[in-house]
Amino acid sequence: MEFGLTEEQEMLKTSAREFLEKESNRNHIRTMMEDEIGYSPELWKKMAGLGWVGLIFPGEYGGGEMGFRDLTVLCEEMGRALLPSPFVSTVILSGMPLLFAGTDKQKQEFLPEVAQGKQILTLAILEEDGDFWPGSIKTRAEKRGSEYILNGTKLFVWDAKAADYLLCAARTKHSSDPEDGITLFLLDAKEWGVYISPLNNLDLLRRQYEVVLSNVPVPAENIVGELNNGWAILKKMSLYATVALCAEMIGCGDKVLETTVSYAKERIAFGVPIGSFQTIKHKCADMLSGLEYARSLMEWAALALDDDDPDAPLAVSMAKASCGDVCKMVCDEGVQIHGGIGYTWDHDMHLYFKRVRASDTAFGDGNYHRELIARYIE
Amino acid sequence: MSDGSAKLEAFRKEVRTWLRENLPKGWGTPEYKDPERFSTEAHELGKLWQKKLYDAGYAGFGYPKEYGGVERPPEEIAVIREELLRHGSPFGPLSLGLLMAAPTIMAHGEEWQKERFIPKILSGEESWCELFSEPNAGSDVANIQTTAVKEGDEWVVNGQKIWTSMWEFSDWGILAARSDPNAPRHHNLTCFIVDCKSPGYTKLPLKQMTGTSEFGEEYFDNVRIPDKNRLGEVNKGWGVILAGLMAERSGGGAFWGGMGGGRSATGGAARGIGMLSVKAIIDLAKETHHYGRAVWDDPVFRQKIANLAIEVEAMRYSGLRMVAKMRKGIMPTNEASIVKNFQAEMRRRQGDMVMEIIGAYSQLMRDSKRAIDGGEWVYQMMRARGATIEMGTSEINRNIIAERVLGLPR
Ligand SMILES: Cc1cc2nc3c(=O)[nH]c(=O)nc-3n(C[C@H](O)[C@H](O)[C@H](O)COP(=O)(O)OP(=O)(O)OC[C@H]3O[C@@H](n4cnc5c(N)ncnc54)[C@H](O)[C@@H]3O)c2cc1C
Repeated sequence: MEFGLTEEQEMLKTSAREFLEKESNRNHIRTMMEDEIGYSPELWKKMAGLGWVGLIFPGEYGGGEMGFRDLTVLCEEMGRALLPSPFVSTVILSGMPLLFAGTDKQKQEFLPEVAQGKQILTLAILEEDGDFWPGSIKTRAEKRGSEYILNGTKLFVWDAKAADYLLCAARTKHSSDPEDGITLFLLDAKEWGVYISPLNNLDLLRRQYEVVLSNVPVPAENIVGELNNGWAILKKMSLYATVALCAEMIGCGDKVLETTVSYAKERIAFGVPIGSFQTIKHKCADMLSGLEYARSLMEWAALALDDDDPDAPLAVSMAKASCGDVCKMVCDEGVQIHGGIGYTWDHDMHLYFKRVRASDTAFGDGNYHRELIARYIE
Repeated sequence: MSDGSAKLEAFRKEVRTWLRENLPKGWGTPEYKDPERFSTEAHELGKLWQKKLYDAGYAGFGYPKEYGGVERPPEEIAVIREELLRHGSPFGPLSLGLLMAAPTIMAHGEEWQKERFIPKILSGEESWCELFSEPNAGSDVANIQTTAVKEGDEWVVNGQKIWTSMWEFSDWGILAARSDPNAPRHHNLTCFIVDCKSPGYTKLPLKQMTGTSEFGEEYFDNVRIPDKNRLGEVNKGWGVILAGLMAERSGGGAFWGGMGGGRSATGGAARGIGMLSVKAIIDLAKETHHYGRAVWDDPVFRQKIANLAIEVEAMRYSGLRMVAKMRKGIMPTNEASIVKNFQAEMRRRQGDMVMEIIGAYSQLMRDSKRAIDGGEWVYQMMRARGATIEMGTSEINRNIIAERVLGLPR
C-alpha cells in the first residue's frame, strides 16, 4: 500500500483545487442554494471535459481508467469546495453498480454518455426508516409480460430532480432472507408514474427528494445484475460510497480548520488575537490531530478497496466512524471559535456543518459502524 | 392526609382547571399548530399567555408588591411550576425582560424606573432586549464602541449593536455605551433604558444557521435618551452589564436548561421540559426503528438516554439548591457561569443524541413534509450551537469559573 499522494494524484489535487476555487466559489454556492435543481449544467459539462465524471470508468467506455483512491482525491476537493453537483450520485452510487454488474449493452449505452456529461444518474434506495439495509426495501416490482411494474416510495434520494435515470432497488421476491429477492432497475426519471418532490433537507447544496413510484413500467432489459440478487451489488457499492463520503468529509474538515485557524489569528478580543488563548489553541490542535487520524483511516480504506483487500470492509467501517465523529467535532468547534458570526446564515460554517452531518447519517452512522467493527475484530 | 397537603392538592386542582380552561384551543393534541417561530403571532401568543398567568396570580413571583410582584407561599409556586411544565404552556419570547431586564433594574434602577418598568415586564405587556454586543465587542464586551454624549439633560447615542435577540419585538432595550472616551476600561461605560421606537434607532434582521432570524442588528444614529432613563451611575455601566449577564446566566441557564426538543404531534407547542423532554425522547426512541429494531431496545441508546435523565435531575436539584441559598440571602454571582455552561452544553449533547435516534430524518426541519415532530428536534439541535455562544461563550464562562470562582491566576 502506497500512502500519501502519488505524483499523478498531486497533480489531480492541485488542478482540482484551482478549478473549484474558481468555479465553485462563494457566489456560485450561494446561487445554487436558491436553485431548485441544485447544480449547474455548464459546470457539469466542464467537469466532464476534464475527465472527472468518467475518471474511474474503463477506457472502452470513454473513461480515464484511474483507481478509486484517485477518485477520493477528487472527492476531497469537492467536499472542501462544497461543490453542488450530482457527482457522487452519478459516478459512485449509480455508475459503480452499472460497472460491477451491468451487461455489456447497458454499459455501452450508459457509461460513455455519463462520462461525457450527457446523462445524470442517481440511486433510489432508502425507504421509510432511512437506513441502508435490505430489510427496509418494500418497493415492489411485479412482472407483466416483458416489463416490470414498480410501486413504492423512496426517500432521501439525492439529486433526483437533476437525474435522467434512477437506479432503483425493488423487491421481486419474498423470502425469509431480506437480502434475497431485491432487484435493481434502471428507470427513466421522466417515466409516467414517477413523482419527485423535494424533501427540503438542510443541506441545500445536495438536495434530497421523495420519489413515489406509482405503477411505473420498466423493461426487463433494464435490470442491472441478476434478478433477485441486487443487494450484493449495492453492498459492494456502499463500501466505495462510504469512503467517498469520508473523503468529502475530510475535505470539509480541512477547510473548516483552515478557515478557523486564520480567523483565530485575525480576530481580536481583549486586545489580542483569540488564537493566543490557550483554549482556542488546544481546540485547533485537537481539530488537526483528529483530522490526521481520520484521514489515515480514509486512505487505508480507499487503498484496501483498490487492492481488493479482505480487510476492506473493516477499514471502511473504521474510516466512517472516525471521519463522522471527527468532522462533526471539527464543525462544532469551527462554529464555536467563530462566535456569533459562525452561527449566522451568511457565514459558510453552517454549510459545512450541515454537509458533514448529512454524510454522517448516510450509509450508516458511527453507532452502526462501530457495531460492525466489533463483529469483525472479535 | 394532613390539612396542609389537602389544601395543596385542592390548589393543584384549581390550577389544573384553570389551565384546561385557558390554554389555546386544541392544546396538547395533534390538531394544535404552533405559530411560526419568531412570528408576530408567536410573540402575541406569548404576551397574551403571560398576561393571563399574571392576572390569575400564577406569575410575577420574586418581586415586591409595589412593583407588581405577586406573593404566594413557596409550596404553591412549586405546584404552579410543576403544572405549567406538565402541560407545556405556550412560551412567549419574553425571556429577556423576565430574565435580564427586571433583575437588572431591580438591582440598579431608580425608584421610578422600578415602578414604571417592572410591573409591565411581569405582566408580559412590554418586551425587552439586551443591547450589549457589537461587531468588535462580543466576549470582550468592555470594548464597546457605541458612544453616548451628554447634551443638556439628554444623551446622544451613535453606533451599532449586533446579535440582538428579540430585536424585532422589543419595546425597550438595556443599552451599554461608551460615555467617556478618556476613562480607562471598565470605567467608561454607562447603561441606559432605551425606547426601541426612538427616532434614529434602526433595526435589521440577521439570519441564523437555523434559517430563522432570531437575532438582529441595530444602528443608532443620534438617538436621544433622556438622562432620567440612565440605568445606574455615569461611567458605572460595567457593574450594570455584569449584573445583567449574571442574571441571564443563572436564570437563563436554569430556565433554558429544562427546555428540550418539542413533540408537536403529541404536545402542540409543548416543548418538553426537564423530565418531560426525557419522556418525549423515550417515546421517540420507542417509535423509531433502525435496522428493524426499536431504538429504545438498543443498549447503546438506553445508556445515552439514561445519561440524559441523570443530567436533567442534576440540573433540577442544582436549581433547588440555588433557590435554597437565595432564600438565605446568598445570591449567585460568578457561579451563574456553572449553570449557564451546564445547560448550554447539555442542550448540545441532547440535540446530538436525538439526531442519532432519528437518523436520516435529522436532515429535515419544519418546512419538510417528512420532518419528525415538525422538525422541532432538529431546530433545537442547531439552536444549541447558539447556546454555547450567547450569554458568554463556554470558554468565557470557563474562564470566569476558573479565575473568579476558583481564584486561579489570570
Ligand atoms: C443566539 C445568540 C443570541 C445572542 N443574543 C444577544 C443579545 O440578545 N444581546 C447581546 O448583546 N448579544 C447577544 N449575543 C451575542 C453574544 O453575546 C456574543 O456572540 C458572544 O459574547 C461572543 O462574542 P463574539 O461573537 O464577538 O465572539 P468573540 O468574542 O470574537 O469570540 C470568538 C471565540 O473566541 C473565544 N474567546 C474570546 N475571548 C476569549 C478568552 N479570553 N479566552 C478564551 N476564549 C476566548 C470565544 O469563546 C469564541 O470561541 C447573542 C449571540 C448568539 C449566538
